[in-house]
Amino acid sequence: MESLEIPTFQPRLRVLNREQALAIHGAALEILEKTGFKMEHPRALKMLADRDCEISDGDWVRMPPHLVEEALKSAPKQISLYDQKGAKAIDLTGENSFYGTGSDATFTRDVETGERRRAVLKDVGNFATLVDGLENIDFAMSMANPEDVPIDDIYVYVFAEMVKNTTKPIVFIADSGRDIAKIHEIASSVVRGEEELQRKPFILNYSEAISPLRFPENVMEKLIFCAQKQIPLCLPSGSNAGGGAPVTLAGAMALGIAENLVGLVVHQLAGKGSPFLFGPNVSALDMRSSVVCYGCPEWSLTQAALADMRDEIYGLPIWAFAGASDSKVVDAQAGAEAMFSIITALLSRANLIHDVGFLEYGSTSSLEMITMANELIAMSRFYVKGIPVNDGTLALEAIERVGRGGPGSIFLMDDHTYDHFMEALFLPKLLDRSRYDAWKDESAMDLYKRCNMETKRILFEHEVAPKADVVLKEIEHILKRT
Amino acid sequence: MSDFKGLTEAVIKGDIQTAVAETQTALDAGANLQDILDKGLIAAMDQVGEKFSTGQMFVPQMLRSAKTMQECMKLIKPLFQEDELATKGKVVIGTVRQDLHDIGKNLVAMMMEGAGFAITDLGVDVSPKDFTQKAQEVGADIVAMSALLSTTMPAMRETIEALQEAGIRDKVKVMIGGAPVTENFASEIKADSYAPDAGSAVIAAKKLLSIS
Ligand code: B12
Repeated sequence: MESLEIPTFQPRLRVLNREQALAIHGAALEILEKTGFKMEHPRALKMLADRDCEISDGDWVRMPPHLVEEALKSAPKQISLYDQKGAKAIDLTGENSFYGTGSDATFTRDVETGERRRAVLKDVGNFATLVDGLENIDFAMSMANPEDVPIDDIYVYVFAEMVKNTTKPIVFIADSGRDIAKIHEIASSVVRGEEELQRKPFILNYSEAISPLRFPENVMEKLIFCAQKQIPLCLPSGSNAGGGAPVTLAGAMALGIAENLVGLVVHQLAGKGSPFLFGPNVSALDMRSSVVCYGCPEWSLTQAALADMRDEIYGLPIWAFAGASDSKVVDAQAGAEAMFSIITALLSRANLIHDVGFLEYGSTSSLEMITMANELIAMSRFYVKGIPVNDGTLALEAIERVGRGGPGSIFLMDDHTYDHFMEALFLPKLLDRSRYDAWKDESAMDLYKRCNMETKRILFEHEVAPKADVVLKEIEHILKRT
Repeated sequence: MSDFKGLTEAVIKGDIQTAVAETQTALDAGANLQDILDKGLIAAMDQVGEKFSTGQMFVPQMLRSAKTMQECMKLIKPLFQEDELATKGKVVIGTVRQDLHDIGKNLVAMMMEGAGFAITDLGVDVSPKDFTQKAQEVGADIVAMSALLSTTMPAMRETIEALQEAGIRDKVKVMIGGAPVTENFASEIKADSYAPDAGSAVIAAKKLLSIS
């Protein structure tokens, strides 16, 4: 008998047709050409003026579509991030998806007491260690805005702390051209040289323009720095429906994409061919509480739409969010919202997915939430793999054996089961499927409690590959200078 | 004439056309200006605030009511003699130095204006000096600061110090807010008041100036 070779369809979500995608893109171009934007960085303004942009009122810019076309052509379609030992870890291209944490939360839920308190530098270290120890979390962000470091260099301290506590790639924040240079210095030191960092970057900068349509000087300073040093960067703008942008999702996307395209154009003018991760953050402002949501279906929907636009038009890898919640504690709401965004991000093939572990609309971080998300990501990845159909999985021989095997013959005993169960089924670690009595005997723990224990176990047992002494010394030196 | 029911209802509904017409009718009938303002417009906005905080109204509906009130004010304001218009108090508001978040601040400003405060909005990235100068210039009763970044929270303290140095700290009340700001932080930097959202900002402001 011939063996079956059928390609596996992998479940995929689509939310826009080609006409919709083109119409939103067209609206974005129209915003840039007709409405324009405010460019507060003198050199960026000059670059745009030199390239057919129309300038009025000092820094108001109107941009012709052909600049966008050029930038889309020169920006690389693939971005690779490496771990800190130089192994390729994140290949941002096509349909690959990677999850990581978020930055800057003001508060954290203490893992020992459960209390909500201001975050400190030690928390940044703990978050990085946890990320390092979880197999489905692919990159680290700070998760905290610690109160116990000098404010002027907060992002430098936070970066150093992450470097010390994980080997995975890092997505970092900086304030301006000043601190980003120091962060770049630390990163260069980790891989022993600026060229090596350029060749195998383990860092990506997350900066934000200001919706609607404003590009501050310090933000463009960072963007130009990254373009010239070839540090991958993304530049979402906070075009949230009803907040920084129109309440209707199409308009909010058009605005956010327009803002992203400005970033992309300046970026490619400053460093042609430098890596730019595309994508606005289009969440929604809640019309009762006025918070900008981190657990709403709107954000998941707009990023799925952006994935379709990537496939139809842009071809650049995209930035996304998942695994976060507006709930104040890790409860049923947090689980529901986290899972909703995690699975849809994967089903729509978002590429670099951040904010895993946020509670309270991004104000509070939670270690347990990340541990839980790690399992939810595993579940989602299992689902998206689809159903391979071939001789082995159709298992006709096993059916024959067991079917005709007489009384007592069961699939559980068959070799086919033994050989395949590991990849054929999803085997949860934290989601509880134990029988009632077993559950009760294990002190009737809920998922939160199990995540809490697992988190503590990882923080206690997981060993992060230590950095070389020279690197640590150089980091101390750079921090002292700050 | 003391019944402003039609006007109040129109403001609550956010029906600009009807509200403006009702205002004109009241003016034509010779109603007292301060009464139209207090018993008509502001009374309506008080109800709006109440409905919003109990979840019966959404943010855009509340803002439409505020806009409706502003349109009515356009008819009334020119008829007041200078200084005769009794506002609830003068508020200088802004987002602090190096902070560019303005959506929350704008919302607070709109709500306070709706409640009858006279607002001077300094925008974003406002230095302690600019807050102080403006407060002096307009004779502010309240200086209201917004910060969304923990890195810009210290600018709130500096602004309070600047008010102190300019010798006007005891003449103004200081209100602060924004996502990372807490009650504790407010008392730590000796601000007079903190509020977690726009609705409670109005209540807090009224309390500060002992008005209802
Ligand atoms: C939208 C947004 C932006 C937009 C802002 C657009 C704009 N025009 O304002 C953009 C994209 C520009 C932006 C930029 C940045 N942001 Co931002 N942003 C947000 C976000 C998602 C929502 C804020 C918002 O508008 N909420 C809606 C409004 C209505 O609510 P609100 O601001 O909280 O205001 C209410 C109350 O706080 C209160 N209130 C507010 N002000 C006042 C004042 C007074 C007197 C009173 C009484 C009450 C009061 O009443 C308001 C109405 O109810 C928050 C996260 C979040 N969900 O809160 C992050 C967040 C605030 N940003 C953050 C960060 C880190 C940044 C950046 C540094 C990111 C970067 N990598 O560059 C930059 C900094 C820019 C700068 N220099 O200011 C962090 C702050 C962390 C921290 N602890 O410091 C947050 C918490 C996100 C996160 N977890 O990382 N951001």
